Amino acid sequence: MKKLLAILLTLAMSLSLAACGGTGTDTTGGTEDGGDSSGESAYRVAMICDSSISDGGWGMSCYNAMVDAAEEHGWETEVSDSIAQSAYYDTIVSYCDLGYDLIYAPGNQYTDAVLQAAEEFPDVAFALLNGGEDTPAQAANGNVTSLLPNAQQVGWIAGALAGLMTQSGTIAFIGGMELDTTLGKYQGYQEAAAYVGEQEGKTVTTLDIVYSGDFSATDKGIEFAKAMIDQGADVFFGDASAVDSGARQAIDEANAASGSVTIYDIAQPSDLLGQNECIIGSQVTDNASLVGLCMEAVENGTFGGEVIYGTLQNGALSAGALSDLVPADVQEKYQSYLDQMVNDTFMK
Amino acid sequence: MEFVMNIILSSVRMATPLIFLALAELYSQRAGLVHIGLEGLASIGSLVGFLVSLITGSPMLGVLAGAAVGILVNMIFAYATVTLCAEQIVYGMAINIFAPALAAFIYRVYFGAGSELVQVGLMNTLSGSLGITSDNFLVRLLLDQTPMVYLAYGLVIFTVIYFNRTKSGLNYKAVGEYPKAAATLGINVIGVKYAACVICGALAGIGGAYLTTCYANTYVDGNVAGRGFIALAAVIFGRWSGAGVLLACLFFGFCDALQIRLQVGSFGVPYQFFQMIPYVATVVVLASIGMKKAGPKSSGKPYLKEER
Amino acid sequence: MKNSGKLVSFLVPIISILLAFVIGCIIMAVLGANPFVALESLWIGAFGSLRNVGTTLARSTPLIFTSLCACFAYRCGVFNLGGEGQFLMGSIVCCYIATQSGIEGLPAIILCLVGGAAAGGVWSLISGLLKVYRGQNEMIITIMLNYVATLFMGVVYTNWLRDGSVPQTQAVPDATQLSRLFGLRVTSAFVIALVVGLLVYYFLFYTSKGFQLRAVGLNMTAAEFNGFAVKKYILMSFIVSGAIAGLGGSAELLGTQFRLINGFGNGYGFDGVAMALIGQLHPLATILVAIFFAALRVGSTTMQAATGVPTSVSDIIQALVIVFTVAGLAMVKLPGFKAFLGRLTERRKEAA
Repeated sequence: MKKLLAILLTLAMSLSLAACGGTGTDTTGGTEDGGDSSGESAYRVAMICDSSISDGGWGMSCYNAMVDAAEEHGWETEVSDSIAQSAYYDTIVSYCDLGYDLIYAPGNQYTDAVLQAAEEFPDVAFALLNGGEDTPAQAANGNVTSLLPNAQQVGWIAGALAGLMTQSGTIAFIGGMELDTTLGKYQGYQEAAAYVGEQEGKTVTTLDIVYSGDFSATDKGIEFAKAMIDQGADVFFGDASAVDSGARQAIDEANAASGSVTIYDIAQPSDLLGQNECIIGSQVTDNASLVGLCMEAVENGTFGGEVIYGTLQNGALSAGALSDLVPADVQEKYQSYLDQMVNDTFMK
Repeated sequence: MEFVMNIILSSVRMATPLIFLALAELYSQRAGLVHIGLEGLASIGSLVGFLVSLITGSPMLGVLAGAAVGILVNMIFAYATVTLCAEQIVYGMAINIFAPALAAFIYRVYFGAGSELVQVGLMNTLSGSLGITSDNFLVRLLLDQTPMVYLAYGLVIFTVIYFNRTKSGLNYKAVGEYPKAAATLGINVIGVKYAACVICGALAGIGGAYLTTCYANTYVDGNVAGRGFIALAAVIFGRWSGAGVLLACLFFGFCDALQIRLQVGSFGVPYQFFQMIPYVATVVVLASIGMKKAGPKSSGKPYLKEER
Repeated sequence: MKNSGKLVSFLVPIISILLAFVIGCIIMAVLGANPFVALESLWIGAFGSLRNVGTTLARSTPLIFTSLCACFAYRCGVFNLGGEGQFLMGSIVCCYIATQSGIEGLPAIILCLVGGAAAGGVWSLISGLLKVYRGQNEMIITIMLNYVATLFMGVVYTNWLRDGSVPQTQAVPDATQLSRLFGLRVTSAFVIALVVGLLVYYFLFYTSKGFQLRAVGLNMTAAEFNGFAVKKYILMSFIVSGAIAGLGGSAELLGTQFRLINGFGNGYGFDGVAMALIGQLHPLATILVAIFFAALRVGSTTMQAATGVPTSVSDIIQALVIVFTVAGLAMVKLPGFKAFLGRLTERRKEAA
């Protein structure tokens, strides 16, 4: 027993010490203050996330959006990430019990858990990113707001670029969970790519959507991407967090093997240009401003029951910077398609 | 044909971590220790492998560190099950709860709540280091692999020879079959069991580190994703022999590869049914073989020196 | 000697828990957090208010079922590690009845619970038959069947019973849900769990069948020699333990989750085994242990928010409790330790 204890203790100590030598001991965002905060009475927001917040994709972007908005409004933040679907409700309730003012749930999959908790905690505000249009009306206490970036437009922004850039005429999309919003993005991506391809005189087909079923299965992303590359896909878009990172790794490897970058990836929901070699552009959703709107509403006591849309027109959706791999003339064409989308003349 | 070749390449890729883990289980069971904690050992191995290869920039050191931490954690198992004679399966389970929690904790503490994607450089493949680029199937199968893949297959060959052709290997097996008889022959039963735990911990740690140094360039909690239990299944399905274990791993790797490809091709059958194959196959194998052939005879039983 | 043995086996879990907390505190201190503040917030999170107590009890409910499942089986010498699979099979059948049969209200609840228990029992029986008639190690088989059940549940919620835009089944109708107690999160499922615990306790220690079952668990050869129907008892313990887990799965579905989703029941089986062992295979002690673990889980979120210590510290403490207790219990059973203990008590007697 003594020996065992000694081993364990040294293990624990050495590991913790090693950790201290690392990037610092500021473990979670619990103490991040917004600088000019009004002291103890600061508002608090908590985010729940089923993927990791360091996934280099969805989770990371949503978390950063919350932190940015919190900094601007002087709120405190907290996050629970990598939680299982069965723990959504429990985690939300823990934060409600702790007296958090706003619960930020970035994803359609949290809808039921949010509605359930919202009924029990009428005083807590719930912001549901990608929530349904009818979700706020379902909340008995009127304390749920849907933040709804237009999924079709999200798909268009990526699809137009994919249609312009594909050489093989085959493009691919990797989904995480089988959500309506994911399907909406896929459909927008598919139709925009087909339309743009047609304008450019080529046929662009999108492979059937695949779902990893799990936002943290990097290995599945690798294998899906490899399988889809084998089927000829040369532009990828995805909605699957860490799975997307896996896909990008596989694409980078395939490009490295062939000696030149000929297979591309389009990132979302923030500008990830430069993270991987294969990323040629990003679809950007300004989640921070959407969350910021919720925070203002909470502060003013006007929160609840609305659907805040995010569109190209109101600036919540946009296209990120393009890489040098996109030729100048293509960049121009892409810009004109984006203008069409803003003016509502795209595909018309 | 293209489809078949790609599936073969993919199967080999998926099978490699399984081979390390299954060999770990095999060495453990051959010494009479059933170890269901490989999942835990691999998860801590994969995290430490990731961290070390990130810090030092050398995936090879990452693999070594993974092996070292695997041994370290497995010494807890060794002390409890060999010296204290604790129930092996229960203790394996305890490792499965402890090690992933430790891994998640270290990751969170090391990287803080920072939300940047951390990527490491992966180990070079042989053809990569030689500068060969070719689309030829055989070149890709035989040369476009990391050194770890060759190590895995080399270890399988070594294992087959060791257990069947060497005196030391036969002594080792005796410990798993008839420990008391082995002790009367002058074999150090306790010593062999501890050695088995060192080998098992190292191989399981390497199997975990393989995932973050050769396969995916990022670490995610839960990235071992049940491979530890598939390895356990592979040892039973492969009837406790080196060659059998290799075939079982390749078969399970093939099932996994097929499952992914079928999803991309969108066939009607739910993919979960393909994922079930390793587990169902193991139950069927166990049901069809009698108890007499079911592995090392004293597997799972504690060895009390005093009872001699 | 016998008394001191009992005392020791009671002390082992207590000491293990203390040790685990000491190490947890050291880790927290190294991280720069005040361990006492952390422990205090852990306590407040779990028991600080009536509402929190309700949450803790609600979280403990499925754990009580799976730990009773393990407890019952182990008393008969059956190492059923399949609590999770049996739990899931129970909830799957329960989900079918609740959402597809068209029946609602109390009759549906009873049907669901019975159906779930039956499904758990049948799923467990597979392992039992393979053990009794093929002589196979039930631990390996039950682990494999856990995975089969988890994947099968995946098929159910992503394909067969899928509802709407998210991979999950339809929710159990309101009338079929188990009622909450005093408006707290804990439901009547907790009461069912307690009743099952009392029944198991009564059966094992106050009936002759229970005595025979324990006799089989203590020494199979001796029991066979005494003419006990060993095979029958083994199969029975598989069925009953599986049924307890299956009942737990149904109660969790009707009381807390309402729908099958990804991660449902994940880890409950193994957790149950650990808790049963820490509770010394005593049904009532096991319930207490399950509540203790639930408290650690519920409180850890509060702890993270209050001190910035990541919740995984709580996971590590839980794991250490298991690691220490299992090792400690094995150690006190060693002949060497027993002899040492014997010498110790003798000396004390001499002194007295």
